[in-house]
Amino acid sequence: MNDPLDDLLDARLRDEAPYIDDAGFTTRVMKQLPRRRLSWNKQRAVVIFVATIVSVVVAYFASGEGMFVHDAFARISGLQPLQLFLVIVACGITMTIAGLWAALTRRHETMI
Amino acid sequence: MELTDADLLARVLVDGDQHAFGELVRRHQSPVRGLLRQLVRADVELADDLAQETFIRAYKHIRSFRGESKFSTWLYRIAYNIFREHARKRKELVGIDEEQLQAKADPQTVDPGLRHDLMNALAGLPLHERTAVTLCCQNGLSHDEAARVLDIPLGTVKTNVLRGREKLKKILADWAT
Repeated sequence: MNDPLDDLLDARLRDEAPYIDDAGFTTRVMKQLPRRRLSWNKQRAVVIFVATIVSVVVAYFASGEGMFVHDAFARISGLQPLQLFLVIVACGITMTIAGLWAALTRRHETMI
Repeated sequence: MELTDADLLARVLVDGDQHAFGELVRRHQSPVRGLLRQLVRADVELADDLAQETFIRAYKHIRSFRGESKFSTWLYRIAYNIFREHARKRKELVGIDEEQLQAKADPQTVDPGLRHDLMNALAGLPLHERTAVTLCCQNGLSHDEAARVLDIPLGTVKTNVLRGREKLKKILADWAT
């Protein structure tokens, strides 16, 4: 059987450990934390974004300041209405497939 | 549903989520600050400075937490190490200083109330007994967990708790008679 004095001491010690109110302590700690580094997912997004911008700029100047766009429009404007319709449908289908593929891949990642 | 410590830790580790770490600080600040207040003998400002250092160090080394013990036990260990570093710098671990402080905190002369007598008696215990009693009797750690926090053998923790408790029980017994 426990000494009653032991029980009393345990109870007293527990009672004498009151909850210390935060009173801005957490905020002070958070202000002193070192700046966080970007997570891998965010780093990857930044790398892809920067690489895309650089590629576009390089392609623009490497192609004679985008003359290929002008030429493409000129060729498209010379197409027959049926050919133009087929090109638009092909572009639409391609974009839909790409969008679906991206969405399904993203869902798969989240589930893992 | 409230997130567990493990959930919050996962967010800190995977996403670098500082808000999740903030929630961990909010949850554990009270016992960590309480422990440090006992260790530095109620110098509240110093205890809070050391507690801040504890959480900042925990954040910097969060990847070294392997989940073998509770997160709170890991925090107590960091807090105790920071206290020891601080004490070493200020030579507070020298025996004569301990004795002087012990005399200063004589429970018979400070306050007539049992509550204060007990707290003063706790503050007057030698550092190793005070720390062991605070961890095991106030913060609810097992002897094994306290041994890991203090990095000393299990038997030494048990002895320190027993000796500390005997001294505190004497105060209680005096009040009972």
